[in-house]
Amino acid sequence: MNPPPLPNSPTVAKAHQPLLIMHEVRGGYGDADILHGVSLTVNPQEIVVIVGPNGAGKSTAMKAVFGLVKVRSGTILLAGEEITGWRPDAIVRRGVSFVPQVRNVFAEMTVQENLEMGAFLSRSVREEEFERIYALFPDLKAKRHALAGSLSGGQRQMVAIGRALMLQPKLLLLDEPTAGLSPKYMEQIFQICRNVRDTGVAILLVEQHAKQALAFCDRGYVLATGTNRYEGTGQQLLNDPEIAQMFLGG
Amino acid sequence: MDTVGLLNYAIFMGVLIGIYALLTLGLNVQWGYAGLFNAGVAGFFAVGAYLSALLTAPPAPDRIMGWQLPTAVGWLGAMVAAAAIAWPIGKVTLRFRSDYLAIATIGIAEVIRLVLRTEDTLSGGVRGITQVPRPFGDLPYEWSQLIYLALTWALVLLVFWGLERQLTAPWGRMMRAIRENETAAAAMGKHVAARRLEAFVLGSAIMGLAGAVYVHFMRAITPEAIDPMMVTFLVWIMLILGGSGNNRGALLGTLLIWVIWSASELLTDRLPAEVATQAKYVRVFVIGLLLQLVLRWRPEGILPEPAGR
Amino acid sequence: MMELVNFYLVPGLILGSIYALGAIGITLIFGIMRFAHFAHGDMATLGAYLALGLTTTLSLSPWAALPVAMAGTALLAILLDRLFYHHLQNRPKILTVMASLGVALMLRSVVQVLWGVDPQVYTTGIVRAESFAGVMVRPREIATFATAVGLMVVLVLFLRHTRWGKAMRAMSDNPDLARLCGIDNEAVVRLTWLIAGALAAAAGFFLGINTELNTMMGWSALLAMFAAAILGGVGRVEGAVVGGLLIGVIEELSVLVLPSQYKMATAFVILVAILLFRPQGIFQGKVL
Repeated sequence: MNPPPLPNSPTVAKAHQPLLIMHEVRGGYGDADILHGVSLTVNPQEIVVIVGPNGAGKSTAMKAVFGLVKVRSGTILLAGEEITGWRPDAIVRRGVSFVPQVRNVFAEMTVQENLEMGAFLSRSVREEEFERIYALFPDLKAKRHALAGSLSGGQRQMVAIGRALMLQPKLLLLDEPTAGLSPKYMEQIFQICRNVRDTGVAILLVEQHAKQALAFCDRGYVLATGTNRYEGTGQQLLNDPEIAQMFLGG
Repeated sequence: MDTVGLLNYAIFMGVLIGIYALLTLGLNVQWGYAGLFNAGVAGFFAVGAYLSALLTAPPAPDRIMGWQLPTAVGWLGAMVAAAAIAWPIGKVTLRFRSDYLAIATIGIAEVIRLVLRTEDTLSGGVRGITQVPRPFGDLPYEWSQLIYLALTWALVLLVFWGLERQLTAPWGRMMRAIRENETAAAAMGKHVAARRLEAFVLGSAIMGLAGAVYVHFMRAITPEAIDPMMVTFLVWIMLILGGSGNNRGALLGTLLIWVIWSASELLTDRLPAEVATQAKYVRVFVIGLLLQLVLRWRPEGILPEPAGR
Repeated sequence: MMELVNFYLVPGLILGSIYALGAIGITLIFGIMRFAHFAHGDMATLGAYLALGLTTTLSLSPWAALPVAMAGTALLAILLDRLFYHHLQNRPKILTVMASLGVALMLRSVVQVLWGVDPQVYTTGIVRAESFAGVMVRPREIATFATAVGLMVVLVLFLRHTRWGKAMRAMSDNPDLARLCGIDNEAVVRLTWLIAGALAAAAGFFLGINTELNTMMGWSALLAMFAAAILGGVGRVEGAVVGGLLIGVIEELSVLVLPSQYKMATAFVILVAILLFRPQGIFQGKVL
């Protein structure tokens, strides 16, 4: 058997190059910083979750990746390219998609039209692209001509995620995708995340339901007061009694 | 022009500046204090003018009223009438964004103009209303004019002083709080809609008063006397240029714009007849452009709102 | 019955088509740029006079001048935005409304300086109405209605079925999400001005060709156009069409109950009524 490659060799580097690297990011929306040094990585085709108490800066950290937050210091690298300070429409073109927590569909357009808008940047969309999304969200196919605003919360969330997947992003950012959903839909969303990951997409999501999120993700970060506290695989974090006590409500 | 002519001209200018000052102060209550866009200033002005005339002038055939009441009653009536028209308009539109109030005020000004043009029994028809009295009106002409000038400016200063006091009073501070952060103010239990309605009605009443002052100065009024859009627009640019939210700014802006407007009129009057009418529209264009420039480069106006009052 | 049709319905539909064309632009601007465009009426006036200028200087027939005037006004609309509205976009919208009031006066004064204030006509001569199964219409009225309907149909198809039409609807629906999808806000705004300007010019032209041209005509129609947009539901193009037609017909019918001088007041009455009873309008638009 051959000796394993040396850590610095190109083969190793390429195979293990993280898709997203956030390093010591500080920033916020206005004058006051919300993030006081957040670092995280997301590897290709993995699900990474950010949990933590209210006001920890979870959503802010994720939005910083998408260029929606003023970054005062620190770097953000996407597939090795620095994207710190880039505007959202440039980041979209690099294969990152963002699903906001609220107002995340075009309520007065049909499901099909929502998907079309998701694919706006590619001039023409083939039928297969839509079929791909409908394969992930079978419930939506029957409702393709219904107005997105008329759907239930869970179905709307599926439209929101479907919209974000139309351009086949490498990285999907989800801001509290299960907020306000029933447990049935919550489980469905997590399952969808797994299916999406298996198609080759990395997912970074912020979750309020920490226990359930850590149970299904690959790796997780616990943030508090705008900075990192813990990280590890989902199982590690779930099993840590300290974390459970402080952040997961026992 | 000889001295007497010059004097008369100066008095005329002085009174008109005073009338526009009242209009601008009234608009400042609506815009500067409460953030309301009243695009129908001329309508409230007209209502005040006509009602005051109708109350104080002698009777005429085919026309209502003409009760020859004292001028002061006329002026009071003018304020009440303007307020009475403002109240329902405000009640309906102030629930919504200011755009709707703006549209509605254009509408009400238009309706008022239509009514005055059509209902001869109200407006005295083409002849209009004449023989409108004024205090000390029996004195020789120059004296009467001078007294009226003094009266006008006494009124302006009275209104100015009253509004300045209101600014520091609880009412004024609350208005500012509502304007700066409506959601926070509402959360604190302030009745936002009611306060804005108050501001709208008060401002309109002052505009009605301005109309009354005008009609008693001119001693007559016809429907053609006022060009509604020009009056409304001039008052707006006076306020924006001078400084919205600032009563001193309102006065300053009135003076500046009036000087520009009159000076340009003097200039264009010297042009040959064919060009003179076109020239009027060039002046309008320049004033419109001036507004754009102010909005672009100094939207807070020359005298910005005093901070932290 | 025929009297009702000929004296009220036909003129009402013509006037209504004119209001509808203006209201469409207003509702698009309300929906996408989120402000009340007070210069819309005077933009229509300018478009009408542009067509007049083309007929007099190039000896074009008015109907041939119409598309050119529409194109010219469309470009002018973009220019107006660049010069006077664009820099205000991050400030409270009411300032843009104020600027548009100033632009209204500027546009009007340009027309007044260049063409004078006396009423004008595109072509002289009396045109008699002809009878079509008892309905009395003039050819220009048919042309007006047909063209207006044609323009509206094209626009609705554009909004429903094309990429950029949908982008406009998306921007009106949820501007933040539209940006996330990579839709260029600036491009949509320019497109909106193009459409609004072109339709306003058509409205002005039809107003002029069916009555006469005067420098206040656009401003006089502005209130009705706003009422139509709000009646139909702010942001809803179909609503603006229906609202415009309704107000046109109601305005003509109003002479049955009101003295004819008050025709223009009916739009105001309708506006107050909608705001009182159904502010979202017929087709449930935004309530600003």
